[in-house]
Amino acid sequence: MRVNPLRRLAVGKRRRFLGRLNKTHYCALALLLSLLLSTSAFLLPSSALWILVALNGGLVVHGLLLKKKISALLKIATVQLVTTMGLYYLFHGESQLLEGAVVVLRVLLAMLPGWWLSSTQPPERLGEVLSWGLPHQWAFVVAASLSLLPFMSRELKEIYQIQCMRGARITPKALRNPKNWPEFIYCVLLPLLIQLLKLSKQMAISAKLRHFGNAAKATHWPSTRDSE
Amino acid sequence: MNLIELKGIHFGYDTHQVAILDDLHLSVNHGECHCISGATGCGKSSLLHLIAGELSRPFEGEMIRHPALMVGLVMQDPNVQVLRQSVGAEIAFALENLGTPSVKMLEKVQQALRRVGLYISIDTPVDVLSLGQKYRLMLAAQLVFEPNLLLLDEPWTQLDNHGVQELYFVLKSLLSDGVAIVMVEHHPQAFGTLISHLWQLEQGKLVAGLYLPSVPREHKLNVTAAKATTSESCAEERVRISPHRFQFTGRETLFRCANTLSLAAGEIVALVGDNGSGKSSLLKALAGIQADIGQLPFSVLGKRPKLGIYGPNLSLLLQRPNRQLFEQTVLTEMQFSLRRFKLPLTRAEQMLAQLSLMGLAAASPHKLSYGQQHIIALASLACLTPKVLLLDDPFAGLDSVHCEKVWQLLLQLRQQGCAILLSSHREMSLDDVDRVWHIESGFLLDRSESMEQSYAG
Repeated sequence: MRVNPLRRLAVGKRRRFLGRLNKTHYCALALLLSLLLSTSAFLLPSSALWILVALNGGLVVHGLLLKKKISALLKIATVQLVTTMGLYYLFHGESQLLEGAVVVLRVLLAMLPGWWLSSTQPPERLGEVLSWGLPHQWAFVVAASLSLLPFMSRELKEIYQIQCMRGARITPKALRNPKNWPEFIYCVLLPLLIQLLKLSKQMAISAKLRHFGNAAKATHWPSTRDSE
Repeated sequence: MNLIELKGIHFGYDTHQVAILDDLHLSVNHGECHCISGATGCGKSSLLHLIAGELSRPFEGEMIRHPALMVGLVMQDPNVQVLRQSVGAEIAFALENLGTPSVKMLEKVQQALRRVGLYISIDTPVDVLSLGQKYRLMLAAQLVFEPNLLLLDEPWTQLDNHGVQELYFVLKSLLSDGVAIVMVEHHPQAFGTLISHLWQLEQGKLVAGLYLPSVPREHKLNVTAAKATTSESCAEERVRISPHRFQFTGRETLFRCANTLSLAAGEIVALVGDNGSGKSSLLKALAGIQADIGQLPFSVLGKRPKLGIYGPNLSLLLQRPNRQLFEQTVLTEMQFSLRRFKLPLTRAEQMLAQLSLMGLAAASPHKLSYGQQHIIALASLACLTPKVLLLDDPFAGLDSVHCEKVWQLLLQLRQQGCAILLSSHREMSLDDVDRVWHIESGFLLDRSESMEQSYAG
């Protein structure tokens, strides 16, 4: 049997392509997938949302299998559900509650792929993928900012706790009163911002001292590990 | 070979203020180890950044750098220098920027890791490392690009004794390879014979010798004098820690506590353990703010610890206390909690006067030096006269002048009947505190008790 030479070429190409697929390529695909899923969360009609729910369910299972924590995201979703439903009930009455729930669902579906991406892919690899399109410096900034998120959330929690103990009116109960919201901004968010500025300055010095931005074409660490 | 020479350097942050570096001279050659000491905020760190060529402002004077000079700098807190999540990627960062081909990175990274004595996988997440390990990781991240001048900012303060010892051997081998070292350090004794030049930075100039401020150490006497009275009166128990296992959910046990420990009114107890032994988590658990720890048999002021139930009776000072400052002036910062807990506002002024810091009352807390911010944060808690005060490493990064102010505050609170538990990564003398609890080889225990018993026996 004669095989179409063109087809043989295509099969060979695919094999070679798959052979060359390393963790960085997977990361790129993951990035694309998350972007696609997040955008569709807003663009798809409500009737087709179940497809997204199923796909995101897969991501959640994958993340949980890798022992990543999802509780923070679920907390945000719950708070959002409660406030949105409350507002919908206030403004539109009972009839529109379902619509409110759909809005919350869409926001959750838009956030889930981001959670999955950031918890399954190391920032340096994301940085490498981003550097294909962005200048190296920008890719580093994006990757570094992503890796800052866990630190900032820890810091936010600690500052909140310290100020609560100092008597600030920012306990969940006190925050039910909008009058106390400025206190939360002054006591918690402002110090957090100062910490963030300090930290980013230190990180910038640390990066510069390690010759960041010196090479015309920077090389990458993760690929080395794959080609072992 | 002369690596770098500084001649008549003048430098200042503010035109209105006195210059930090004023007619400074320094020459560093291959294989030399220079140690610079000086008061907190005297410009030691600025000098290191100047040598590293990373000072953000211009300076006057002449700096002659050898064309082959390659500088590595490890700053005080390794946490703020981490840029990546895994050990390998962190070390390789400099190689990436120098354009080292990817295939050559692995070997170089592993070599750097071995050089600092870290025998861990290159895929280890940076998060799980102890502070001492992180410090050596940052050292490896510099050594990987083979610097011939290494700058270290106060390594002793951050590291526990074990970590200092490990660093000692790393530095020794570097010096024998001809690498020059300039370190800023208050405790050069820890590095003993390695140091070839000892300097103190005084009024912007480097003078040979060690900075040793004359500070009265009165507190020792007070403790011994007052010790007898507290044990006689059998003071009220404020904190009770029953036997338990201290572990985060789903993780290995950090330490076990086999006997009941208690902290009474008018007592200062030190909690001593290495970096990463669980001291901070224990303090947070006592304040009821440690997550993922489950229910522990702790009783603070007769209640199970929970955030927000103690009001002004329980205070906690976490590490880097400058994080809690937010007001416009030092005085309002001190008055904040007094106002919230409806206590007399005059206490803030009294406290400042006692610490002879009245001059700072109208200053912005954000513009103070690290040591001053530390004292203000502590003083704002102290003026609440809490019944229990928990302090996480309250002497970290402070020079002896500021340490003495902290002691002054603690002794005063102790006299007022406050129960104080403070953590430290270094052994504390029983002359300074009433008792010492240790976290050691997986156990939390009150060694001073067993010591007293053995003396009695």
